Amino acid sequence: MRLHEYEALDIFEQNGIPVPRRGVAGSMHEALHVAGEIGYPVMLKAQVLVGGRGLAGGIKTASTPDELKEMAEALLNSDIKGLPVHKILVCEKVEVAKELYLGITVDGYSGKPVIVASTEGGMLIEETARTSPEKIAAIHIDPSFGYYPYLSRSLLKMLGLKQQLITAWTDVISQLYAVALRYESLITEINPLVVLPNGGLIAVDAVLEVDDSALSRIRFPLPDRVDRIENPLERRGREIGVTYVDLDGDIGLISSGAGLGMASMDIIGEKMKPSNFLETGGGITADLLYRCMELLMMKPGLRAIFINVYGGINPIHEGAKGVVRYIQEHNVKIPIVAKALGNRQEETWEIFRSGGVHVVTEVATERAIDKLYELVGGN
Amino acid sequence: MSILMNDSTRVIVQGITGRIGSAQTHWMLEYGTKVVGGVTPGKGGSAVEGLPVFDSVEEAVRETGANASVFFVPAAFVLDAFLETIDAGIKLIVIVPEYIPVKDVIRMRDYAIEKGVFALGPTTPGILVPGKGKMGIMPASLFAPGRVGIISRSGTLSYEFAGILSEGHVGQSTVVGMGADPVVLRNLADILELFQEDEGTDGVIVVGEVGGEQEEKAAGFISRRMTKPVAAYIAGRHSPQGKRMGHAGAIVRGSSGTVDGKHEALRAAGAEVLESPIHVAQWAKKHDLK
Repeated sequence: MRLHEYEALDIFEQNGIPVPRRGVAGSMHEALHVAGEIGYPVMLKAQVLVGGRGLAGGIKTASTPDELKEMAEALLNSDIKGLPVHKILVCEKVEVAKELYLGITVDGYSGKPVIVASTEGGMLIEETARTSPEKIAAIHIDPSFGYYPYLSRSLLKMLGLKQQLITAWTDVISQLYAVALRYESLITEINPLVVLPNGGLIAVDAVLEVDDSALSRIRFPLPDRVDRIENPLERRGREIGVTYVDLDGDIGLISSGAGLGMASMDIIGEKMKPSNFLETGGGITADLLYRCMELLMMKPGLRAIFINVYGGINPIHEGAKGVVRYIQEHNVKIPIVAKALGNRQEETWEIFRSGGVHVVTEVATERAIDKLYELVGGN
Repeated sequence: MSILMNDSTRVIVQGITGRIGSAQTHWMLEYGTKVVGGVTPGKGGSAVEGLPVFDSVEEAVRETGANASVFFVPAAFVLDAFLETIDAGIKLIVIVPEYIPVKDVIRMRDYAIEKGVFALGPTTPGILVPGKGKMGIMPASLFAPGRVGIISRSGTLSYEFAGILSEGHVGQSTVVGMGADPVVLRNLADILELFQEDEGTDGVIVVGEVGGEQEEKAAGFISRRMTKPVAAYIAGRHSPQGKRMGHAGAIVRGSSGTVDGKHEALRAAGAEVLESPIHVAQWAKKHDLK
């Protein structure tokens, strides 16, 4: 779960990392009030959970109350990369001597936490990583040895910095590493980490993505997880316990695995357009698939549904019962094609057929999607 | 022949008394796997599917001579049980459960590698040697004995590939699920190496997906070490950027881990890139794989 910048800044501050004076506002009047307390100029930052916000026009500077009114109004009525802006962060505009980058993530390949630092912070950090890799230093933390501050000192030495900055920055890294551990985060990032004219450091932005699998054991208060999903269908998916990603096509998809779902999407995408990606994971029941059907049918203009499930850990015959119950109760007329293989497949096919579902018994998903294409009459 | 599992593999099931653990023990036994017992702390002395249940892995090993373990343990208890299993001397571990915190997986991986234990997962369907046995949840009806190895990051796609091959009368030597999490207990190249060395395998299929860098890193191994034909399929070409598709392993972030990037690396290494799972049949035919 990715936290909003204002939430992450609060956590960073509680853990001893210097952050700007700030407040969060949901209206132009609130923004005006916060800015009045901080003093101008202030930065206005759209609170949306997406990267590249600055380049997309989500960050502004206001020098006067009039400017702020206009900018806050505009930001609060805008979308940044498709996400509506409900809140803006109003924060002190600090004087920048230099912008640094600091991030802690997990290197999936080595299976270790990695600390990444660069003297070229700011909005173009990805660009820097590609064009000037020598300006980026990284160090892996050995899981059984753990983190110690000297690791940061040697990391920062690689960047050729003066001792004063190394000392200050090492403190910030140690504090940020403590946050990463405590919140079991997959990404913990400050970009930019600003060097003030007096040599001090301040975190001007904050990214914190908590490992969803660890949410239940984190003992610190975290914001509600379902609340922050903007798309109502995706929110509904989370509520019923499936992964639902809303897309702009008209062919509904239910799969019992992420890989299979992505492969199905890729094949559908050759000739048609998927309406969604829905993956059940390993917990199929009749009720769950009934709710999945309900969720798919909420999308207007759906032309057909493709169900692609394997009975390994999942009782697919139970799932089929839920689908058929939905079809019968709601008199569904659009074509539904199912490919269901594995444990108890024959029983599953019978149930699907009893509800008018077209069953494809070949293994290749391509064949089932050919059938679907034929049933919707091409294109 | 096969990799990882063979005739001397004696399996225990951890979490055998749970709903999924007992059901899957039934399927494993039915497929001919030498399952010799189970472990659920507090349930020692009972029996599941006629097999003895022990309170600890150490007892299970002592009483049954087990040398491999498959996990159906709730995610929150997996780290503890995993360390216990390694300390009891088990050398092959399959972690089926999903939603294990990454911090735990990091610790598990570190300890397993330190102790020379081969572990797969988390979020893996396990290992299946067609006609011989399986550790995990793979639906046996889709597999047939033969000489093609499959390594997959996705459970369901491993079934799809095995099933398409079996339909075309091409069998598999071993099918290995490496797990779908952002950190897995063994990397792709480690498993490729086993297939390269296996006399019963004539060609290998790598089934990957967007996100991470397993396939890119394995490309180096393929070009240096693989003399057997390798085919690769990467799911997720049409996945929207930045959205999570199911498990956390599948996230497209920036330009790393994209389908195109993986294709390029694999092609350059000499692997044959399959645009769709169905193309695996032609690949097998071309290399005369059976």
